Amino acid sequence: MTSDVSDTSTQPELRPLAGILAWAWPGLGHISIGQKRRGVLIMAGMLFMILTGLFAGGLDSVDRREDRLWFIAQAGCGPVAFVLDIANQSMLKAGRPPTDPARLNTVSMGRPNEMGTLFIALAGLMNVIVVLDAAFFDPKRSAGEAPERMRRRRSDRRPAKTPDDDTSDNQTESNEAAPDDA
Amino acid sequence: MSMLSYIPFVYPLQSVYAWWYVLLIPLALGISVVWKAIRVPDFNDYWRQVVAMTIQIVLAMIGLALLLALFVQVVIPRLPVDMS
Repeated sequence: MTSDVSDTSTQPELRPLAGILAWAWPGLGHISIGQKRRGVLIMAGMLFMILTGLFAGGLDSVDRREDRLWFIAQAGCGPVAFVLDIANQSMLKAGRPPTDPARLNTVSMGRPNEMGTLFIALAGLMNVIVVLDAAFFDPKRSAGEAPERMRRRRSDRRPAKTPDDDTSDNQTESNEAAPDDA
Repeated sequence: MSMLSYIPFVYPLQSVYAWWYVLLIPLALGISVVWKAIRVPDFNDYWRQVVAMTIQIVLAMIGLALLLALFVQVVIPRLPVDMS
């Protein structure tokens, strides 16, 4: 009976605000729930992928009209993708027919376009995972507790302990790892 | 487009045509940085795990490319052709 209660209390709860913030700006969702370092690393990784994609493929890597399916993946990056698309449509394509030489020189084609599009689409798909992680974040992870299978492996190696010993062990782990995100 | 009119992040980088496959390394690195930031319980070993995952992705891609090349260059030409 007691173990059932403790199992339900360890279920990650839904944090809709963290999910929305994570979509609005990659990494912000984790920062909002106190996972500062995690959030900063996610932000750095996502911006690195988006900027590398832009560097390789230019603004034309994000195109809601011509690459609609890719844009669905890129939209996972959040408003950044929509801003880039607006900039693309207004700076590079506005008022220029597809055969205009000036437009052909500035839009990306072939490999640069493929790589730029791929980088930003993968960043968007990764951010979907980030949004889900922020929305259903398990606080036990930040306390340094290992996943279930690692705990099982450890307990196989250690001699059998009483329930009291296990509780004190977990508390020590939590106290050691918690300052990371404080 | 001359180099004088080139604006980084707005216009495409033309030299990507020649070395596009090198971009697999920053791509794998970016994915690893984000994935490991989500997955690791603590950050003591974070960068080592990021580098390891990056290397794993790149090696896996090279392996898949070699297998595919082997299949296309060696296996497919040896398949019997039905001329009827």
